[in-house]
Amino acid sequence: MIKVRAKMLGGAMAAAVVLALAACGSGTSTAGSTTEDGAQASAMASASGNITFWSSVANMKPVVDAFNQSHPNIKVNYEVTPSAAPGYAKLSTALQAGNAPDVATIEYYRLPGYASNGDLQPISDYIGQADLGKFSGQVRGLVSLGGKSWALPYDAPPMVFYYRKDLLADAGVSTAPATWQEFEADARKLKSVHPDAYLASFYPDDPSTFAGLAWQAGAKWFSTEGDSWNVNLGDAATQKVAGFWQKLIDDKLVKVEQSFSDQWSQDLQKSTMAGVVGASWSATGIVSRTKGQEGKWAVAELPNWGTPADSMLGGSTFAITKTSKNPAAAAAFIQWMTTSPDAIKARGNVGSAWLAYPGLSDIAKANFSTAPFGGQDIFSVFQKASSTVSDGWNWGPKITATYTPLADGFGRLATGGTISEAINSAQTATVSDLKNSGLSVKG
Amino acid sequence: MRRTARTSARRESGGRAAALFLAPFMVLFALTMIAPIMYALVLSLLAEKKSGLGFAPAATVFAGLGNYAAVLGSQTFLDGLARLGAYCLMYIPVMIGLALVLALLMDTAVARARKVFQLVLFLPHAVPGIIAAIVWVYLYTPSVSPIVEVLSNGGIAVDFLDAHLVLPAIVNVSVWEWTGYNVVILFTALQAVPRETIEAATVDGAGGLRTALSIKVPLVSSAIGVIALFTIIGTLQLFTEPTMMHTATSSVTSTYVPNMWAYDAAFNQHNLNQAAAASLILAVLAAALSFIVTRWTSRSQKP
Repeated sequence: MIKVRAKMLGGAMAAAVVLALAACGSGTSTAGSTTEDGAQASAMASASGNITFWSSVANMKPVVDAFNQSHPNIKVNYEVTPSAAPGYAKLSTALQAGNAPDVATIEYYRLPGYASNGDLQPISDYIGQADLGKFSGQVRGLVSLGGKSWALPYDAPPMVFYYRKDLLADAGVSTAPATWQEFEADARKLKSVHPDAYLASFYPDDPSTFAGLAWQAGAKWFSTEGDSWNVNLGDAATQKVAGFWQKLIDDKLVKVEQSFSDQWSQDLQKSTMAGVVGASWSATGIVSRTKGQEGKWAVAELPNWGTPADSMLGGSTFAITKTSKNPAAAAAFIQWMTTSPDAIKARGNVGSAWLAYPGLSDIAKANFSTAPFGGQDIFSVFQKASSTVSDGWNWGPKITATYTPLADGFGRLATGGTISEAINSAQTATVSDLKNSGLSVKG
Repeated sequence: MRRTARTSARRESGGRAAALFLAPFMVLFALTMIAPIMYALVLSLLAEKKSGLGFAPAATVFAGLGNYAAVLGSQTFLDGLARLGAYCLMYIPVMIGLALVLALLMDTAVARARKVFQLVLFLPHAVPGIIAAIVWVYLYTPSVSPIVEVLSNGGIAVDFLDAHLVLPAIVNVSVWEWTGYNVVILFTALQAVPRETIEAATVDGAGGLRTALSIKVPLVSSAIGVIALFTIIGTLQLFTEPTMMHTATSSVTSTYVPNMWAYDAAFNQHNLNQAAAASLILAVLAAALSFIVTRWTSRSQKP
């Protein structure tokens, strides 16, 4: 996350950089193709030529090599890109400059932004409903907007709760909290025996975890109504989650700290962090930070509000950009990557990824060592969690307009700010930003 | 007649030679400075407009001064400017004062020690800013930092990254980075102070302190002016240190200083138009401040 390149930004220099990146951005746009769903499926079967693929997903090189070997007519050039915000900055500037890759890796929460910006070609032009229908309705909903599918889902990570069995046992807690009420009670018990310990972290820099918790509680931040977007960050479900976490923060039951910071790693190592509210993929990160704690960790479904429910945190999709000159080959590559067992086998160690296409996670499972979790079958926990993910959540047309003010608001938690205030200011900022960009907004 | 003709011919050829030598600079300057600023100016007057739900490519429309109004009307941008002002008030007097004191001390120190001091003081500046920021973030982070641990063992619980201390903590990094560099400039200026003047002061009975304050400091005031100018322009470009701090603490938001605001606008919000407007506002501010500083120093130097 080191933004070295940005070092020279400043004053007139910033103007220069802005220019350099936008210089070639004169409008290249694709005429809205009006083909029927999957109408060009045959084009995909006979596709050939060169395409480029950008991804920040780990270990994709062998996958690309395997594709190139089994598909002699198509040659995929693979480039590693930075993850998170710097990666999207690179993709967006490339799209503007007209030198974007054919296939881009875009997480669910960013997909509507690119789709509504006219940056993508709908993948449903190539892949028909029969194939799309094999993905669960819930992930399909996340890649569909305006009646078209814009990407194929790769992984679909459900939120789960990781915890230290030994530390909770010290507090007399033998099973993972099933509800948030139990979670709070367990956190208090933990505090009474280990005054320095916390049961989870609240990440002020990364609102996606909070968004996931709101989603689980039934919130619907974004929806469409006719030709307008609805923005509703302050709905009752979100307020409930906000109030609950505010209480946990105020009573020092959870620790406010930056995600993936040195401090967080230290807290894990020093056993002052007894739990992680994360997703399936978090297992890899926890294992690498907790040497010597093998067998002490366990995974459980996320505590709920009374009835089983879950949400997704992160997760990648692959999409065809508007600048791709070979969308048929791109679609063929994407379909193979997301649905073929060979693609997962080629990748080798996939970490603790929960893959979207049915059956593929079994291959990932076979490659993941569960020793840090005392041999617990963590993939079956993921499967159960995944089956309860609530339908009907949508991401907005410009998530950064929400996340920047939300993170800034969370940053004021240490100086007397509240989660609720952060949400209110993010609501106002999002609505005015979207309206300023010309979109029609209610909210 | 012949004579004047010849001189003017020589002058002309001299002009041609000068033009020849200046051309590479002017070409590069035009391509890498003037053209980008002009393009940023154009960008800052335009806006991307979508409609309805989006999905169709956005239309580029003329926005007049709308982007400038949006930037100056943004609470986070204004907060960042205010923060930058507070940073300047702390950083500039502390850094220039410290550099002046160290340079004066070096000017009186024995000749052999000078070289060592010069090297030691300059060393932090040789560390790239981004590396310095990473090292300092490590030294500030509670439960990682040896300094915080020693302090807390001594009964002083301090969190350099909390909302109140984080700005002084950033000032400290900048002071560490830049003092040595400015000491070198001031020391060089002090070397140019005529020895006779100093001897005359000594003969008149001035002690070391009196000589420093009444003779040396006034004589290097133009160097102090130059330092002040560079420092002010530099502080407006504050970016690296707070950006690194942002990864370690939520006290530093993603729009903490105006440059981070512009970065966020350009690369997170993908609003190049507003980013261009914000950058130009900063550039104008830098120009205005430089103008004030140069006017002020040239006036104060008039006898």
